[in-house]
Amino acid sequence: MELIQEISEFLQKGRAKNVKALVQQALDENIDPKKILNEGLLAGMMIIGTKFKNDEVFVPEVLVAARAMNAGLAVLEPKLVEVGNEPVGKAVIGTVQGDLHDIGKNLVVMMLKGAGFEIHDLGVDVEASAYINKAEEVGADVICMSALLTTTMPKMQECIDLLKQKNLRDKYIVMVGGAPVNEAFAEQIGADYYTPDAATAAETAQKAVLERRAK
Amino acid sequence: MKITEFDIKISAENVCKMIDADKSGELYEEIVEELEEMLPEAYEKIHPAAVFEFGALDEDMEAISGAGGEEALYGICSVGKDISQWSTQLFAEGDYLGGMLADAIADDYLFQMDEALRNIVPQMCRERGKGIMRRLEAPQDISMKIQKTAFEVTHAEKEIGLKIKESYMYDPVKSICQVYVLCDDTEMNRYDHDCSRCENYACKMRKTNVVLKQGEKEQIIKVQKNKNLLDALRESDIFISAVCAGRGTCGKCRVKILKGESVPSEEDKKFFSEKELAEGYRLACRFYPEEPCEIQIPEDEEGFLVLAEQKEKDMEVSENLEYGIAADIGTTTIAMQLIELETGKIADVYTCINKQRSYGADVISRINASNQGKGEELQRLIQKNLTEGIRYFTRNKPVHIKRMVIGANTTMVHLLMGYSCSTLGVYPFEPVNIHTISAPYSELTGEKEFDFPVMICPGISVYVGGDITAGLYAMDFDKREKVSVLIDLGTNGEMAVGNKEKIMVASMAAGPVFEGGNIQCGLGSVPGAICKVEIRDGKIKAETIGDEKAKGICGTGVVDTVYELLKEEIIDETGHMEEAFFEDGFLLDSRENIRFCQKDVREIQLAKSAVRSGLETLVTRYGVSYEDLDRIYIAGGFGCQLDIHKAVGIGMFPEECEEKIAAVGNSCLSGAVRCLTEKNAVEVMEKLVGNAEEVPLSKDGKFQELFMENICF
Repeated sequence: MELIQEISEFLQKGRAKNVKALVQQALDENIDPKKILNEGLLAGMMIIGTKFKNDEVFVPEVLVAARAMNAGLAVLEPKLVEVGNEPVGKAVIGTVQGDLHDIGKNLVVMMLKGAGFEIHDLGVDVEASAYINKAEEVGADVICMSALLTTTMPKMQECIDLLKQKNLRDKYIVMVGGAPVNEAFAEQIGADYYTPDAATAAETAQKAVLERRAK
Repeated sequence: MKITEFDIKISAENVCKMIDADKSGELYEEIVEELEEMLPEAYEKIHPAAVFEFGALDEDMEAISGAGGEEALYGICSVGKDISQWSTQLFAEGDYLGGMLADAIADDYLFQMDEALRNIVPQMCRERGKGIMRRLEAPQDISMKIQKTAFEVTHAEKEIGLKIKESYMYDPVKSICQVYVLCDDTEMNRYDHDCSRCENYACKMRKTNVVLKQGEKEQIIKVQKNKNLLDALRESDIFISAVCAGRGTCGKCRVKILKGESVPSEEDKKFFSEKELAEGYRLACRFYPEEPCEIQIPEDEEGFLVLAEQKEKDMEVSENLEYGIAADIGTTTIAMQLIELETGKIADVYTCINKQRSYGADVISRINASNQGKGEELQRLIQKNLTEGIRYFTRNKPVHIKRMVIGANTTMVHLLMGYSCSTLGVYPFEPVNIHTISAPYSELTGEKEFDFPVMICPGISVYVGGDITAGLYAMDFDKREKVSVLIDLGTNGEMAVGNKEKIMVASMAAGPVFEGGNIQCGLGSVPGAICKVEIRDGKIKAETIGDEKAKGICGTGVVDTVYELLKEEIIDETGHMEEAFFEDGFLLDSRENIRFCQKDVREIQLAKSAVRSGLETLVTRYGVSYEDLDRIYIAGGFGCQLDIHKAVGIGMFPEECEEKIAAVGNSCLSGAVRCLTEKNAVEVMEKLVGNAEEVPLSKDGKFQELFMENICF
């Protein structure tokens, strides 16, 4: 499928216009929208994510690639709804209560989208109960929390404790991240995963969801 | 105190750095373009505000600041909420790059506000009779609670509409808290953020403390992340030799890491032996300090022999006499003389290295640096050089300086005047201004204390500048009946053939070889440079400048070495070195491991052929022969030290002219001195320029032909 390959390549170069046009062309040629998504857009993002982790490309390259992906998705999404495409998983994400930093969280949103997730972004200053309510409402697989301050990190614990209280802890994969957060802290508060960057977060989330489904 | 007026320009360079957009990356231009487009809207969305108030020390602070501090200054800077909201919105729309740029713009603005307050804050403290003992930052120095204290003390909510969360985080998010512990010593001013205490290792603006040891001197500089040591040194006005301007090709910017680690780069491996690498030798241009470290840098090249006639014995500067200053601004060195106007005697001499040298050894690298936005920096450096010289002359007592005359090549004049150099390096090589320039010193340099008039000698072309005009004037080319030659062999070679009727000039790219550049163990004319070489009965006798331990080879040493190696038949007439020396070169000093290599032979072949072919072309074009020439004057420091017989021996000058060759020292400086004391100097110089015609050698078929012929020995 040359056209699909081309979509992936233009995406990796961040050429939004080309991606958009080619996605349209692929649809016109009656190519399966799922195939366009998975083998074109998401495959391209996957390559960029891996390259980023290997230091072959830097943040700007990822940003423009994701922007191109988004342009392609805009064309593709109505068709995906029509054919009833199921996302890889659903993620609820936000920066914890008392914390207004959102750039890191936004990058994770971007990468999760690129990994095929349906995203429910609660923004910043999110109360513990709000994560859970949203997760229950949409039937999420993953809850992602971000904190950039030592004073707001404990809020992550609060959310996990609340999950336990409601007997929902095992229902969700809980991921945490942010500058002061580390592996040890994640373990201490009982989170499932800590990831140091957005690309790793998306990869980890995808793997975790697939593993859980396989069980 | 509330400040809302800031005159801040977003730095594209900083913003790109913050988002990891590297200049060499493919996306760089696209990103800068996008940034430029965003800026007008960004400025509208930034609402800068800063509030400051003095207050009591908070109890946490007392615990950490120790004795001395009693009071604190609290401050909060913010750029408002609109710019962050914009970033969030762009992300939500899928414009991730835009979102990231908006965020980085806000950060850059905040950083620059901090910078803009660098003078205001200490001033506020001084007015209160206080100095700054320490800056505290949460959470690394002190708990986040301090943000609440600052919020309350400054009345930030009322003053600038700031809010605070239970977590002590400010809303808007792009706000920073500044806390200074004050002391009674008003001289103390520790305003800067201390990166070494900060735990934000991922910060793109992180600076590392580097301790520099230079001989006895020791100082600390702060090096920003991803900046190499050479650039950092330049920014701190510390200059070490970097012939290639930091491209990693000359191996001259050697430093030694005394404490700290650094993985050697490919270039380091090329220029240093295993042993040297293990000892910590690295190239400054390839060394990116990330951890605090201690570095030994070479001592100033102050020993550089700059050619200038010394002052006369027992000359004393008198407050009752009038003086003039003659200056020769060379690409490598600067020579200045204080002249007693009535007698024309030299009252004092000042010489120094051109500080621009760390931007490259030759004019081309300076032109490139200027074209890459370093023009102002280069201008500042040359101004600094000159002012330091004048301050030296007036160091003991006030001196009545009536005027100053400067002789310099066209590029140096452009850099001094702050002209654009963009047309100097490309065909058709047009200067911005090459005429006589007259202006007060204060106007040229911004130094208000010196307002005597300055005259800059007129040049002939981009490559044959006012330094040559001054030289021609000094050597009386306006009066000569018989045809003579003036050759200036510096970093660039210039040549003039003529008499009072007509002069033909040319420049040739001889390269920096004559000043020790592009030679593996090459060195300028500094103490320790091998300047004379003789091989007798298989034994090598090498003399160094100042009889010091050998450190390298200077230009005259190079000529001598080639002459001797030819005589010993270690080099054949094509310039090929005997096989035994092909690999490691010829050892000139075994103790200091100073070698002369095949590549060095090739360099001198190109240079000497350029000189010889240039001379031959000019003489031919002038319509005379070698026999018709009266004298051949060689100007410049290199010419003065040069063994003429050996230079003829390697074919740099024609054999039949050997007797006519004479070294004349710094003819540019002599010309400038005469300008100070002779009445119609400007007129004569302009006549010389009018009589001169340039022969562009690079397009001259005859020259090309000769150049190939003269390559061999």
